[in-house]
Amino acid sequence: MSITTAHRAPRRDAGLLWHQIRYEQLSFWRNPQSAFFTFIFPVVLITIFGALFHGGGGSPYFYGLSALQYYVPTIAALSVLGSCYSQLAIVLSMRRQDGILKRVRATPLPAWAYFFGLLAHCIMISVIDVALITGIGALFGMPLPTHWPAIALALVLGAASFCALGVAVASLIRNAEAAPAVVQLVLFPLLFISGTYMPIHSAALNRMSGALPVRPFNQALLGPFAQHTGSGWHNLAVLAAWGAAGAFIAIRRFRWNPRPQ
Amino acid sequence: MRTHVTAAADMTAHTAIPAGTPCASAVVVAGLRKSYGAVQAVRGVSFTVSRGEIFALLGPNGAGKTTILEILEGFRTRDAGRVDVLGADPSDRSEGRALRERIGLVLQDIAVEPYLTVRETIARNAGYYPAPRAVGEVIDLVGLAGQQRKKVRNLSGGQKRRLDLALGLIGDPDLLFLDEPTTGFDPNARRDAWEVVRNLRGAGTTIMLTTHYMDEAQALADRVAVISDGQIVAEGTPATIGGRDTARTRIHFTLPPGWTAAGLPVEATQADGLVTVQTAEPTGTLHQLTGWALQHRTVLGQLTVDQPSLEDIYLRLTSHGTPEPRPQRSTR
Repeated sequence: MSITTAHRAPRRDAGLLWHQIRYEQLSFWRNPQSAFFTFIFPVVLITIFGALFHGGGGSPYFYGLSALQYYVPTIAALSVLGSCYSQLAIVLSMRRQDGILKRVRATPLPAWAYFFGLLAHCIMISVIDVALITGIGALFGMPLPTHWPAIALALVLGAASFCALGVAVASLIRNAEAAPAVVQLVLFPLLFISGTYMPIHSAALNRMSGALPVRPFNQALLGPFAQHTGSGWHNLAVLAAWGAAGAFIAIRRFRWNPRPQ
Repeated sequence: MRTHVTAAADMTAHTAIPAGTPCASAVVVAGLRKSYGAVQAVRGVSFTVSRGEIFALLGPNGAGKTTILEILEGFRTRDAGRVDVLGADPSDRSEGRALRERIGLVLQDIAVEPYLTVRETIARNAGYYPAPRAVGEVIDLVGLAGQQRKKVRNLSGGQKRRLDLALGLIGDPDLLFLDEPTTGFDPNARRDAWEVVRNLRGAGTTIMLTTHYMDEAQALADRVAVISDGQIVAEGTPATIGGRDTARTRIHFTLPPGWTAAGLPVEATQADGLVTVQTAEPTGTLHQLTGWALQHRTVLGQLTVDQPSLEDIYLRLTSHGTPEPRPQRSTR
């Protein structure tokens, strides 16, 4: 018995993917609250930091950078974490609990097309977030970065890895009510030890957080944003490894059906 | 069988599945078993759904209807038995996509993105199928023409169910599964939904539905299987199931005060003032009774003559005296 995927025109699959991306976007922008709050948090945060720290010069506390040179990339990284990891884990848990995922599973839409639609959405939101943060940083006198290809690479790899981790966490969460708490519980300590909110000057701590996903992503953005260097291949490699681990758990454990009572 | 002839690539997709399998049956289930822990939800169920018919699984809540349907839909695995849906095994994931292009599902729970409009929701799902029906046609078919620009969150419960039905139909399926399709409908909406289902059968779609409404099975189904406690206890057409066609006719009436059933010319039982006579010869018995009433210058009040209803058969078949444990449902 032949399997139809082999006969299927690749053009139809490409069309299907485009179709899914369009409707995923439509669902997002139609919900004004979710659209607003996705962007407001990083914007408010960078505005506060900008107002507090603008005009300051380089200091050893920020590894010789100015405070804004440090915070624009770390807050940019934070916004990507929010829209890829946190949002995706919570949205998927809710859609599963509401039976929306089961309804999707009842159609011939392949799982890969559904997840690529989500990934494309998350990358787009991340790009908008990073552009907003860079723009507000520029208003406070931060020079625009010049290494755009390195930023784009780090951004896409980071978004994809944190999406995979978001789906992995959604695969392990039992119910949607617990999702925001679980997501924050994992993320919040990680942000602190990874230097998102303040630079860490402990070599031991940095070595440890360097093997976890958040600090490598911060570093991968700090390079091209503030130091006009590349992202550092080891940072990208650690990120990619976490993304692969997330994808592995997601593929093995993801459930479409709501959990029985 | 019905085949789509829109694109050569899709022809291969559709002819690939039933190759080497007989096309007379849309669904074949044999010796199906499923347990949840210690609870045996499905205990050796076998039935066949022919192409082009409406087949109803009728039974009380918790009898195993939804479990059987979800195994056929590929949402659940089975413990034992053979299942064949349009020539494919629904638990075989490599055939899942090709199979889902040919079946339509209306699930028990309404689950759609709240912020899209009716038209957008249907158009989105239309894009998932190789040869979908026209979006406008499906909107008209389920009676949502006036609501197509409304957001899903603003629809009434009944309108959301219609939308769910539209999502089941949009792929132009050969086989449509309906899990309690009219639960929560008002009487008019139910009749409309029945009309839609009959029209689909008229167009060649095979339909398998579950219901706990006797009148729904009676009104819609070509064949009914009554399921109780995970087993099929009777199967047949709505008119003949459970020996309904050969059962004795019942005559009910009341007698004025002072008269008792003991004086009647035929054997009768009396409960709460209502006299019941069972007979295999309704014409003669009725003549005897009315003749007796005229002769004695009395009346047979509230006189009715009926066959045992499907409901009577159903209640007889599904009553055990003990409530059965409710198996886990897939929803929350």
